[in-house]
Amino acid sequence: MTGGVTSRAPGQAPSRAPGGASGRAPGRVRRLTRAEARGARAAAGFLVPFLALFLLCFIAPIGLALYESLLKIERTGPLGLGGETRDVWAGLSNYTHALQDGHFTAGFGRVLLFGAVQIPVMIAFATGLALLLEAASARWVGFFRTAFFLPYGVPGVIASILWGFLYVPGISPLVEMAHSAGWDVDFLGRSTVLWSIANIVTWQFTGYNMLVLIAQLKAVPGELYEAARIDGASAWQIALHIKLPLIRPALVLTTVFSLIGTLQLFAEPKVLKPLTNSIDSGYTPNLAAYNEAFTRNNQHIAAAEAVLLALVACVLSFGFLRLVGQRGNGGEDR
Amino acid sequence: MSMSGMREPRRRAVLGGAAAAAAGFALAGCGGDDDGSDEPKGRKKGQKITLTFWSWVPGIDKPVDLWNSENPEVRVKVEKVSAVDGAQYAKMHAAIKAGTPPDLGQIEYPVVPSFLIDNGLLDLTKYGIDRYKDKFVGWQWQQSVFGKGVYAVPQASGPMGLFLRQDLFDKWGIEPPATWDEYEAAARAIRKKGAWIETFSATNGNRFAGLAWQAGARWFGAEGDTWTVSIDDEPTRKVADYWDALVKGKLIKTIPDRQNAWYKDVQTGAMASWLGASWGDALLVGNAPKTAGKWRVVPMPQWKRGEAAYANWGGSTTAVFAKSRYPKDALDFAVWLNTDPASIKLLIENGYGTPGAKGGYATSDLDVHKDFFGGQAYSKVFETASKGVDTSWKWGPATDTLYQRLGDAFTAAIGDGSSFRSVLTKVQRDTISDLKEKGLKAEAG
Repeated sequence: MTGGVTSRAPGQAPSRAPGGASGRAPGRVRRLTRAEARGARAAAGFLVPFLALFLLCFIAPIGLALYESLLKIERTGPLGLGGETRDVWAGLSNYTHALQDGHFTAGFGRVLLFGAVQIPVMIAFATGLALLLEAASARWVGFFRTAFFLPYGVPGVIASILWGFLYVPGISPLVEMAHSAGWDVDFLGRSTVLWSIANIVTWQFTGYNMLVLIAQLKAVPGELYEAARIDGASAWQIALHIKLPLIRPALVLTTVFSLIGTLQLFAEPKVLKPLTNSIDSGYTPNLAAYNEAFTRNNQHIAAAEAVLLALVACVLSFGFLRLVGQRGNGGEDR
Repeated sequence: MSMSGMREPRRRAVLGGAAAAAAGFALAGCGGDDDGSDEPKGRKKGQKITLTFWSWVPGIDKPVDLWNSENPEVRVKVEKVSAVDGAQYAKMHAAIKAGTPPDLGQIEYPVVPSFLIDNGLLDLTKYGIDRYKDKFVGWQWQQSVFGKGVYAVPQASGPMGLFLRQDLFDKWGIEPPATWDEYEAAARAIRKKGAWIETFSATNGNRFAGLAWQAGARWFGAEGDTWTVSIDDEPTRKVADYWDALVKGKLIKTIPDRQNAWYKDVQTGAMASWLGASWGDALLVGNAPKTAGKWRVVPMPQWKRGEAAYANWGGSTTAVFAKSRYPKDALDFAVWLNTDPASIKLLIENGYGTPGAKGGYATSDLDVHKDFFGGQAYSKVFETASKGVDTSWKWGPATDTLYQRLGDAFTAAIGDGSSFRSVLTKVQRDTISDLKEKGLKAEAG
């Protein structure tokens, strides 16, 4: 099932992308010519560094996490002091522990709520900016494109520290202004801090997503616009009926990236945590796993939580792809 | 860089291993006849070594520089670690797990046991620490004694006291509170003046432990080979109810302490006091320099007038990690750092709390920031407090976890208005399960 989804989803992008790479694909050969054999060797040579790093930095850690998540620590000696420490088989007990931990599961609920609100807002912003910058009447395009993209160049930790200063009462000019206007605002309160984090993330990633969308817009052949204009389409109609449908693959891509990024929220709540009493140690699943591993020294439970997080990210990403994939097909059939 | 960086320790490890083996033979050869020779066990005479020392104490490099100038053969290299949110311990635990810890580390009393269950620290009795026992304050020494082993060299403690803005208290006509009842009345009176007496920081489990300690709580104990946990005991309930009432009555803020908003409040006088510890003088001087001369220190409020029950907040040790290749030299340095008068002088200048060493300084030496406290000999207050600390308090084997549990539960309680007593019930239950999760035996005490 999922296999069908994966093969379909990436398939969409190249079919719309211009360029001649697809031209060579149909030529299936029984026997490789010498030149082709050399090409295959060269390709393998180019692939090896990637595959080696992919194995080392991606597959191996996942394998290790899976393995570690199935162990637990056993200590001997009086009070566990000075005795022997060894790892023993734990079965799935780390997983049950993680799932019974209210903080950990609450963290999932929180990031899902976050994603349901923040991702649509951010993608809408990014799409709006991309369309504006790619509009025929746009001026100073290079400057604005860079300006909008710039926040992405600020590391998440630094961004969170900067915004932290704008959120903390007594320091923040924003809070001061709001107070003098009679508005008792608390950016770090229990009910507001999640949206303050959403603001940081939106500030950081809107420009990035905008750039991905612009890249796809640039790939749309100019003749389409020309034809539409000749047919009397307004700029609005062009944006709505030509540009938006054509950047659909990029929209899907940015949404999936954002979905994964949201599930992995870590730096922002981690940096803001000391500033407020509204963020607990399991505020997001990643923060929970981090604290389990490094504050509580329960690496095995942390591994189980990391695996669970990866599973959820997988299910949601492919679920989303499947959802939009089906709709996309329906549209094409008509 | 990574290549040579990887090869180098391995070669040294081999050398160290060989030296340790040689030392082992030498000991066997002696047949237990301790000739008391000062021959370093892990180091050949004349061999130059470097010990790494992870610490976050400001100015720790000064005494270390002094040591290095006096001991060219045993150079100590300080590597600064972050103390934000327990990051230094996360790093140490990770290094232990990876098998690459430093030789020495700055470790606070509350977390020493958590390193023991990971077999991370060296039992220093093997290297003759016992002969230095008399140089240290008894109870600080006891904090690192487990079974027959001694696992760290005491550096300093943090007896608690109340820092307050005398000028504001005078202006408002409020007496410094001597009891917790008076403290509540003062909180109310200060509220009427538009300021706050303090904050109850949900995430400061460390100070809450101190408050419970003063009230007579004993959170951890041992029965046979089982840890006993009694966080939800009567004294702690009394403390929880008290602060719960202050929070619910809006007599106290609930912002985190020692963070930007808090510093701002301290600088502007929006917060008129701070229930702190002896190492807090440097913190106020450094962060609210413009309030110089306006502060005083008074004893921590008492539950009954006339009592003299105090508590400890913070305080650290210098510990030697179990993997150190030169344990004898590391111990020598740790003892020197915390007992040598010249070293203590430098440590005091940079503000490190109340020394763990018995001698080598006078109480008045500790009044480094006398002017900031209007000429008050404020260290006397902490000296008295130090003598009133119930020294039978023991820390459990997962203090960082406990602080986090307390922080999460208080955060939730302040957020949804549930009682602080429910926090204790929850943390008590969670702590027992946390210890069991770590493979330890634990039960309610």
